[in-house]
Amino acid sequence: MAKKHAVIIGGGIIGASCAYYLAKSGLSVTLMDKGGLCTEASKASQGHLFLWELPPVNVILARESKKLYMQLIDELDVDLEFRPTGSMSIAETPESLVSLAQTCEQLQAIGVDCEVLDRATVLRREPNLSTHITGGASFPEDAQLNPLIVTIGLVEGARKWGATIRLNTEVIGIQIDNSQTIKAVETNNGTIQTDYVVNAAGAWSGMIADMANLHLPVMPRKGILMVLDQVPQDVMNCKIIMASGYLDSLKSGNKTAVAANIQQTRGGNVLLGSSRAFAGFDKVVNPEVISEMARRCLRFFPCLKGMQVIRSWAGLRPYSPDMIPIISDTKVKGFYVASGHEGVGITMAPITGLLISQLINNQTPLLPLEPLSINRFDPEISA
Amino acid sequence: MDKHPRTYEGKTEIKIEHPDMIICRCEEVTLAQIIEAISEGARTVDEVKRRTRAGMGLCQGRTCSRLVRHLLAQHTGQNFHQIPPMTARVPVRPIALEVLASLEDDTNG
Repeated sequence: MAKKHAVIIGGGIIGASCAYYLAKSGLSVTLMDKGGLCTEASKASQGHLFLWELPPVNVILARESKKLYMQLIDELDVDLEFRPTGSMSIAETPESLVSLAQTCEQLQAIGVDCEVLDRATVLRREPNLSTHITGGASFPEDAQLNPLIVTIGLVEGARKWGATIRLNTEVIGIQIDNSQTIKAVETNNGTIQTDYVVNAAGAWSGMIADMANLHLPVMPRKGILMVLDQVPQDVMNCKIIMASGYLDSLKSGNKTAVAANIQQTRGGNVLLGSSRAFAGFDKVVNPEVISEMARRCLRFFPCLKGMQVIRSWAGLRPYSPDMIPIISDTKVKGFYVASGHEGVGITMAPITGLLISQLINNQTPLLPLEPLSINRFDPEISA
Repeated sequence: MDKHPRTYEGKTEIKIEHPDMIICRCEEVTLAQIIEAISEGARTVDEVKRRTRAGMGLCQGRTCSRLVRHLLAQHTGQNFHQIPPMTARVPVRPIALEVLASLEDDTNG
């Protein structure tokens, strides 16, 4: 019997991971992207493995994903620049410290390793932090890696398992037969017959779903980052330090939210984030936003004031209305969705690829899939 | 004066006799690494950048972007002039973080 064929739409880290796990499982795989590899949200990332983004279902996904990363380091045989850095969240007011402590309690209840730290402990660990801070929390399970290397490594890994990569290939239609089953994907470079389609088109996944007459409420959410020239490694001992308001900034609704998020890479560059804004598909770097990011980050680390900003850029992250990704089959047989990861796409890429592979291959999924199903947005089914 | 026509014609041939030659000085990326990225499928300056870090350093590709275009032309048969330069990003020239932080104050005042 001929191998079943899967088309993965999207050359970001989620598509790359789906391609890798599906090709490894024995399917014939074609990965396509309208542009190149890792050109959108996957490159607008700080490479933070974020093990404690609530709600709890995200924490569980992140935890399993990190285990898979540990395996991928060997499997891909590529230096992913993985570092078990841990992270710290820093409060600037007594109220935000109380709120951070409450978050930690909630996280500890679901098995997250974290510890609330008083002001003196934080300042002893991070002597370059501004002394106005009121305390913080440490998250030793968090880690760092290089998302560009991971994405390209997964694609090269998929290629070794026989996957075909088609770049500059834009999907213009999805063919579905009368029994609501996937038939083919139409592109600007011809039509490909296929058994399965995985929609991993990130911020564009809503448009791809439309082509299959499916409602997928994923929206582009812009995030801006800046990078500083290489900075002495001892500026920060913990390489991932963020404002305690970071989680709240994700729930900011329509207004542009900025929260300090400061990370130093293995190469010594400091990445400064972060912002979130709904602005359609606009990727302009807004001067007032990066200026506000600069002020916020300097509030934490005044010693960075003379360091050089060399680049800033924006990415469109796939926002899911309930902040939980969509990893799901659909009403259209053979059409799957892997999207809506917003800021945790890097963190959740391996588990997403594995779950999609298990779904398509009719294997028992590693985790329950109901909370991740597209059906939760369908009023007829979820009612 | 026709001393350096190569720059304008895009015909510089970068010999591969010295694979350790540094193409991107800021990130210390060698000729061999650039050629490897091209052989793995990179077809644009940005794709080479994402695979090697060439152009990600302090000068943001001011020197190496052109050399990478030459190498792409040489090894893929593309026309030098049709290979777009690296995407330029704000702030274009490095500026101190404190200067950027004072931006809004300036515009308001």
